[in-house]
Amino acid sequence: MKKPSEAVLLLLLLFFTPHAKGTRFSPPGKPALTRCRSPEKETFTCWWEPGPDGGLTTTYALYYRKENSEAVYECPDYHTAGENSCFFNKNDTSIWVNYNITVVATNTLGSTFSDPVDIDVVYIVKPNPPEKLTVTVMEDKGWPFLRVSWEPPHKADTRSGWITLIYELRVKLEGEDDWEMHLAGQQKTFNIFSLRSGGTYHVQVRCKPDHGFWSEWSSTSYIKVPDYFHREKSAWILIMVFTAFIFLILTWLLHMNSHRSLKHCILPPVPGPKIRGFDEKLLKNGKSEDIFSALVVSGFPPTMSSNCEDLLVEYLEVYVPDEHELMLEEGKDLHDHCLKSEGSTSDNDSGRGSCDSHTLLMDKCGEAKEQGRQTEQEERPVETQRHQKEWNEDTLPYAHEDTVSPDMSSGRVKTWPSVFCPLPQYSSSPPNHTSSLEIAKQHCLSDSLFPPGSTSSYLTHPGHSTKETLGPSRWEFSLSNKQPRSLHPQMQTRQQLQARSDINLSNVGCEQAPAGLLPPTARPTEYVEVQRVNEEDMVLLKPVASGRGCGDGCPRLRQAEDYSKVKGVNSDHTLLLQREVMGEEAERCPCQDQETNGETDSCITSSTVTTTQKPPACNYTAAAVQDKMAPTVSGYVDTASIFTLPTY
Amino acid sequence: MLVYMELSMRAGTAPICPYGQAGCHVPTLADLFDRVIQQSSRMHGISSDLHSQFEQYFLPSKNLIGKRKCHTYGILTPDDKENAQRLGREQLTEVILRLLGAWGDPLSQFYQSMSRDQNQDFNHYSSNKAMEISDMVHELRDGVAKMAEKMKLSGVLDNTVSYVSPESFVPFSTVSYYKRGELNPMDHHDLLHCFRRDSNKVKNYLRILKCTTLPGLDC
Repeated sequence: MKKPSEAVLLLLLLFFTPHAKGTRFSPPGKPALTRCRSPEKETFTCWWEPGPDGGLTTTYALYYRKENSEAVYECPDYHTAGENSCFFNKNDTSIWVNYNITVVATNTLGSTFSDPVDIDVVYIVKPNPPEKLTVTVMEDKGWPFLRVSWEPPHKADTRSGWITLIYELRVKLEGEDDWEMHLAGQQKTFNIFSLRSGGTYHVQVRCKPDHGFWSEWSSTSYIKVPDYFHREKSAWILIMVFTAFIFLILTWLLHMNSHRSLKHCILPPVPGPKIRGFDEKLLKNGKSEDIFSALVVSGFPPTMSSNCEDLLVEYLEVYVPDEHELMLEEGKDLHDHCLKSEGSTSDNDSGRGSCDSHTLLMDKCGEAKEQGRQTEQEERPVETQRHQKEWNEDTLPYAHEDTVSPDMSSGRVKTWPSVFCPLPQYSSSPPNHTSSLEIAKQHCLSDSLFPPGSTSSYLTHPGHSTKETLGPSRWEFSLSNKQPRSLHPQMQTRQQLQARSDINLSNVGCEQAPAGLLPPTARPTEYVEVQRVNEEDMVLLKPVASGRGCGDGCPRLRQAEDYSKVKGVNSDHTLLLQREVMGEEAERCPCQDQETNGETDSCITSSTVTTTQKPPACNYTAAAVQDKMAPTVSGYVDTASIFTLPTY
Repeated sequence: MLVYMELSMRAGTAPICPYGQAGCHVPTLADLFDRVIQQSSRMHGISSDLHSQFEQYFLPSKNLIGKRKCHTYGILTPDDKENAQRLGREQLTEVILRLLGAWGDPLSQFYQSMSRDQNQDFNHYSSNKAMEISDMVHELRDGVAKMAEKMKLSGVLDNTVSYVSPESFVPFSTVSYYKRGELNPMDHHDLLHCFRRDSNKVKNYLRILKCTTLPGLDC
């Protein structure tokens, strides 16, 4: 019997020994208070972490001590807050009081105290999340926004001011990871703008006391923003406008490319100076004739086709001071539309040639340009200046024209500027093919001659406006080669002293010289120079002005050929020159006589009447005509000159 | 007047005239409440900052409870919501005034001690903060006094509130403690600890006062 008990004891020992070696019983390990939290600053809870229990059942106890008190109290509630927790209710909670809390773990072998923790409830407040979170979509002037509103956690007494909470919310689009945070302060509503149309948003909110911990995030609220078309529509409109714009640009580019290069369109080449006909290579070659001939433009003198306005020149002849009164006087007369022959008795050396005649241009040519070519014109008022200017303008291009200068050598009276006006191809053609016959057409162009509004195609007088400006225009003779053409037949019939210049102030002549004729200057007096007497006993008259000391290129010396019609020869072998006014233009050619000043009044009208001067008025005291009168500088047919002419 | 100006400057609002001069805006009670609450909140924030700075430099004493006693412990203050609400407006106002009054001198001493002490490892920031809270507590006390006056005038408060001199509240030990003029770092730490708590009380009491007097949107 003893043996079995011993065996049992041995067995028991055996059992126990391994047990005792495997798990060593020990007092519990040290617990630790993990945290204490108060949700509303009225109660609080502390949690601890139990240590190793030492193999035995361990019990935990929490003890606390209040500030400035030695009394130790145990946790009133171990269960409300869960395991390993201690809940302090309102009665046990004091604010602004330090709690010294300790947890004790106890097992059969012993007990272990945790480290004490000091807490002040005020500083451990972590509220519950806000409640009743609502999100609605609202509209502000067509643009949507979210209105978020919530309530404080029901336990936190914000109403009495016991606790003050501040809030924060976060928003994100569905599917994204980044939240957009917004601090809302103490308010309980919030607006969120800049929404994406048609998107779904997640919204959450949390709160915190002014000194405490943030609560957990509330439960998510979902909201879907409806689609707002008008906003996107405006974007589409913009895109369409932009596309249309680009389209237009492309079309324009293509158009440009098809016509010429784009570069040419955007950056047009700068035109360089160029003289028509001027060839640098010719210059290099060194032949001056070639150069100059190249410069001769075929279109020059301008024909009818070209615009005559540029060429319209009016010449105003200005006299030296001693004739000042005369001029003035004549000027006045002119205004009366009378041509005056200037009493140029004293004016032998005026050097005025036919250039000086004051011729009018056609209306078509625009304003008459008057060219005061004489320096004496300064005496003239404005008009002369104007004339001067135009004269210069006009003459310059023509300075070198052959046709400009009188061609003395040719034995014919060259007509004046066809250069000035688009006379029909006249420029250098000899007015008179017939050797013997020179027909100079005398155009009396003057403003005064032409009635305002005269339709003369050529002599157009630029209109009454110019009339004024022209100032005194003596009757001018403008010789146009062109006209002679038509006149030639007429003229040629006359075999007399043919230098007969038909003072064709007739419209015929005048018409023929469309706008072309511009006596470069207005000459108060006109002188016809007897160039020579040809074999047929014709006195060739030549306009005077040439010799006056102006060179060939003297612009002033437009050799307008003035023609005066020989009326007859009187018994004294006096050549009576007469000017005739014929035709519509009613150019008035005053009698060449200076003496006829007084007659000018009667002379000028727009009538088509051919008027002839009264012979007596036109009588000149003739001087014997030499057989040949060499052209002299001062040679001109003066009123006082006398011709002895063979009688018809 | 100066207090009001100061309060207004700190609160960032329009200047006010306590006597209602022409052209000035006379503050309402709500304005006054807002101003003092803002001021007290700011004061508490600064004191918290200072306290946490002290905690860095010194090992936090584990036995604070038994060792330290604030000099204002003699002032009975409600320590929970029910007690505070039970106290009533007049007494609550009185408690506030007492608390504020009790801290005027100690904070000045504290500031002087801090600026004087070369051994301390405090930066200029801390010294400025000390000066700031020292000024604030005086201004706040004057502000609350004026607000109490206005409340009395408007009939919100009874006339039982009276202004009591601060010395009567300070316990002997603390007074001698502070009046000695020599404050060691431990003293500084304790002082800040106490002040932080008291400023929190003031802020909270003022809020309760406001919400019981003017219940509104903020409460």
